[in-house]
Amino acid sequence: MTKLARAPGDPSAEVGGPVIGWCYRVDIGATREQVSHALVRLSRELIGLGLEPDALIRMELVLAEVLNNIVEHAYGDAGQGDIALEAAVHSNTIWCQLIDFGRPMPEGKLPPARRYDLDAMEVSDLPEGGFGWGLIRDLTSSLTYDRNGQENRLSLSIDLDC
Amino acid sequence: MQMTCETRGPVCIMRVESDRIDAAIAIQFKDMFRDMAATAPGPVVLDLAQVTFLDSSGLGAVVAARKLLGAERTLELAGLSPAVEKVMQLTRMNTIFLIHATRDAALAAHGVAPAA
Repeated sequence: MTKLARAPGDPSAEVGGPVIGWCYRVDIGATREQVSHALVRLSRELIGLGLEPDALIRMELVLAEVLNNIVEHAYGDAGQGDIALEAAVHSNTIWCQLIDFGRPMPEGKLPPARRYDLDAMEVSDLPEGGFGWGLIRDLTSSLTYDRNGQENRLSLSIDLDC
Repeated sequence: MQMTCETRGPVCIMRVESDRIDAAIAIQFKDMFRDMAATAPGPVVLDLAQVTFLDSSGLGAVVAARKLLGAERTLELAGLSPAVEKVMQLTRMNTIFLIHATRDAALAAHGVAPAA
């Protein structure tokens, strides 16, 4: 876990927001357990910065969905692989970047949100999965995906107040 | 993860003692729920007061638990923290489960007085 100092003169340090120029980087092994531990550590760190609990809830949920997708789909649950998570807080926004070296997204683009018509369903038909991209899309204010060579790069942002 | 089970009147209260139901323990939760639900025939109240984080895998496990009970039995939820409530709302699963503010409120709804 490395904390990077903001370079002097970095424009983002002058924009404002509750915590100016906080920046964080962590490497996470591609297993569900390591994802879980990393999220607990990141949340503790951010609680210490005095961010709104609701923003932290949204961030942790988005990152859990994205990270577990990487573990499950990019790395195919192989139990190994590296994920780099970078997070920064400025301009009233939490900015996150996730980098992995697993398989690309299907068709090279972000999957759509899946929505269910729960009212029309019998108990036995209720969905046990497929909520992830709906949650990610609902809770982020920007979301972009790039594939460069062997690298997947997902950039997203979460508003501090909404 | 840890879960406890207590029978009060017709109701089986299962209390999750972990602070997370996430992808790392979703399968374990499902297995424990299945074992406990087999020991009690009636409605089940899942007390989530300790749980401060639920992701979509954890939600999937709670839905699986609901399905495990079949259409004849009910699964009600109690004591949702703000993070758990948020996931339930965003996925609209709050329309599927009867949700009580607390474990005691859930018991009262079943006509069981809270413990002295």
